[in-house]
Amino acid sequence: MIFPFSAIVDQEEMKTGLILNVIDPSIGGLLIMGEKGTGKSTAVRALADLLPEIEAVKDCPFTCDPSGVLCSKCTEDLQNEGHLHPTRKKMRVVELPLGITEDRLVGTLDIEHAIKKGEKRFEPGILADANRNFLYVDEVNLLEDHIVDLLLDSAAMGVNTVEREGVSFVHPARFMLVGTMNPEEGDLRPQLLDRFGLCVGVTSLYDKGQRIEILRRRAAFDSDQGLFYKQWNGEQQKLSGRISAARSIVDSIPMDDRVLEKIVSVTASLKLDGHRADIVMMKTSRALAAFRELSTIGSDEIRDAAWFALRHRLKRLPFEEIGAEREKVTEALALI
Amino acid sequence: MRCSSFIGHDEAKLAIILNAIDPRCGGVLFVGEKGCGKSTLARSLRSILPSGTPFVELPLNVTDESLLGTIAIEDTLRTGARVFQHGLFSRAHGGVLFIDDVNLLSPEIVSLILEVQGRGENIVEREGLRMRHPASFILVASMYPEEGDLSPHLLDRFGMCAGFERLTDAGERMSVVRAAICQDQTDADLELTERIEVARKILPTVSVRDRFLEYIADICINYNVAGHRADLYLLAAARAHAAFKGNEDVTREDINTVASLVLMHRRRELQPPPDQQEDPPPPPEHNHEPPPDNQQEQQPEPPQNNTDEQEHDQPPKPHELPPQKEEVFTVGQTFQLKRIAFRKDRLERAASGRRTRTRARNRGGRYVKSVLRQNRDIAIDATLRAAAPFQLVRKRTDVVVINEEDFRYKRKERKMGHLAIFIVDGSGSMGAQKRMVAAKGAVQSLLMDCYQKRDTVAIIVFRKDRAEVVLEPTASVEHAARRLREIPVGGKTPLGAGLLEAYRLLQRVGRKRPETRFLILLITDGRANQSVTEMPPDEEVARMAALMSEQAGIDIVVVDTEEKGRFTTMDRAASIAALLGADYHTIEDLKADYLVDIVKRSFPEV
Repeated sequence: MIFPFSAIVDQEEMKTGLILNVIDPSIGGLLIMGEKGTGKSTAVRALADLLPEIEAVKDCPFTCDPSGVLCSKCTEDLQNEGHLHPTRKKMRVVELPLGITEDRLVGTLDIEHAIKKGEKRFEPGILADANRNFLYVDEVNLLEDHIVDLLLDSAAMGVNTVEREGVSFVHPARFMLVGTMNPEEGDLRPQLLDRFGLCVGVTSLYDKGQRIEILRRRAAFDSDQGLFYKQWNGEQQKLSGRISAARSIVDSIPMDDRVLEKIVSVTASLKLDGHRADIVMMKTSRALAAFRELSTIGSDEIRDAAWFALRHRLKRLPFEEIGAEREKVTEALALI
Repeated sequence: MRCSSFIGHDEAKLAIILNAIDPRCGGVLFVGEKGCGKSTLARSLRSILPSGTPFVELPLNVTDESLLGTIAIEDTLRTGARVFQHGLFSRAHGGVLFIDDVNLLSPEIVSLILEVQGRGENIVEREGLRMRHPASFILVASMYPEEGDLSPHLLDRFGMCAGFERLTDAGERMSVVRAAICQDQTDADLELTERIEVARKILPTVSVRDRFLEYIADICINYNVAGHRADLYLLAAARAHAAFKGNEDVTREDINTVASLVLMHRRRELQPPPDQQEDPPPPPEHNHEPPPDNQQEQQPEPPQNNTDEQEHDQPPKPHELPPQKEEVFTVGQTFQLKRIAFRKDRLERAASGRRTRTRARNRGGRYVKSVLRQNRDIAIDATLRAAAPFQLVRKRTDVVVINEEDFRYKRKERKMGHLAIFIVDGSGSMGAQKRMVAAKGAVQSLLMDCYQKRDTVAIIVFRKDRAEVVLEPTASVEHAARRLREIPVGGKTPLGAGLLEAYRLLQRVGRKRPETRFLILLITDGRANQSVTEMPPDEEVARMAALMSEQAGIDIVVVDTEEKGRFTTMDRAASIAALLGADYHTIEDLKADYLVDIVKRSFPEV
């Protein structure tokens, strides 16, 4: 049984970062940086419980969106039958283990099928599971470079194209990449860093009351998980209700020029390259507004979104720590 | 050997017992010299665990496959369906994973252990297999710290840590010998087993009053531990201890007794700068009253065991540089380093640039993909996939037909280790004319280059009467930069000690990762005036230099920090560079932009 998300003490920034990605998956994931033992992995795994259902093609291992990009199989079915069978599927947190081999990441030939039938059939890999879901890599900075390359490839394209062992297959692979890392164990490649929509830092809590509360909840969870779950069920329901409500209004929140101008003024004054930062900041402030049950984006949302979206994108001297740029951002945010 | 017959090391023994009572205590790491019984005591845990509890030993040469599980060759070939062969993680589920000399494990294996243990589940996505199984286990391990360090991350996963000293008491030593030859200790063992049995039954009813939860939180805050695992392990250990005593209520004494076991390995390596954080208070007294419930602000003293004999069990202390007359200089101007041609022939190195991966020569390394080119490791999954489509044609009957052309092999990769060791002179002479400011600027410039190449770096500082590794090898250059800022200056110049420390570090890292390439950067004015042996300082330096220059796979660069063109100029660093067979540069060279992407030249890219 997983520790309930709402029972995690404090760490609001990390929790909000995850929730914003549920509200708008196109934000593009979250990198959680922090010390060991601060509940990073607990939070990501707990998120699974709060995830909503999405529309998907029935029995499609790639969770194809009936009205979106389709896999080779669904494309074929649509041609042959003229329609697809939609169903509802709960979003998932798919884990990518460190010891993964290439074949299991991208998918490959189905051995049993080939032996029995003498036919080559595609067997989906982790990227298939991850489509439209969260893809979680614990200790993402320890992942083998070779695997990172493959991950970056499909993240950039949004599709996984397989040409190996005589099998050809294409399927959509759009996932929210969630990574946790302890910066002391090594840095992350810049290309990979940029793939994460948002970034938060977590630190140990030094408030005595909070520490005691952590102890208390953990002890209660350990002694009777079922009971603990029941006790937190109300909170969990409330939170997932709030997330669904936000999901349903997020697209209707207007992004008028006034908002866009403010965002651009921040990114411009920080001299950020490219436009990914602007786009992510825009989507994040909108998702924040939705989560806060607002009908318009205010300056507060833009300011808060900036911290999520910009922390890991600021140009810094090679060994300025992430976070050292706090002053620069504060300055830029004072303008709006 | 049985646990009850184990002589001495009461604290370590207690750790084993508490873990036998409640696995939530999170395992234990034994730290100490060779041959003092660490492994013997760890293995004795087997005899007091409930029967049927797995106790799995993890050998140092373990492969990813044997750890995570792999494809079972025979069954797979016979049935034509992939069959999973369980690995050590699976066998350790619900029990103990024991690792002797845990600090010698390769970083790749360590990261797998951390991942799977943290998740409590093994997710296998490899060799064509997809499989998940529960894998919750506690880690019990031993290490001899001089042979290598342990990642702080892995350290954090041990609920407890106990130090082992060589027994000096003659009586105790005699008993060890006696116990070793006499196997008949079953009565005492039985008694202990019974006591543990009883404790296990009481455990669920053991409760902790709020003020003691507060006490635990206080201790952990005062100890400035990273993260929240310490609190949880301390709570678990205190409960197990209460149960062992037969009590249903955790007392302050329970917490105090187990606190050093839980906390000894969790103090941060180095204290944060004093302006940010006060020094943690001294270890606590035993006979203190708990804080009354209504007085929140009263700070309890953090705990320590009351007996003197436990003082020698203290963990390797964080490197605290004593507060004497010394200065910490800022980091001077950094500068762009330019590339020039290299004197030495670096051809041998041409095949191993940074961030390039070498094909692992032996069976180490991680299987990432299969290839056609023959080597010793057959990739069963890929071979099967190659053969599978032809089975009907080949008229398979009872076993999969594999032909010569089907064979595929594993390509294993391992990140090439490049370690740049900075040996920095922190003696008083570096304070003159603020040479240290310039030296730090030089180091920072070199660090920047390491960052771009993703080398690992380590920093050794020598001053006063010794040298110490102020930064263990790390891939985090941010970390290194922070440590660089903190280097103080003052005292004599034990240059020989600096070289010796570097030599030891080379040996340690080399043992763990034999393929590592080293770059040593010695930043000094060369005015050695303090030895750590009986030899005069200069002779000591010469001896160490000879030792160092004999090592294979090492490049050495000396950066001379002496101010040139004065009547006091001695050029001692230049002659040391000659002894070391090193490249020699002055800071002025560096500043004048003549130089040199030193790091780049030594670890050329492909």
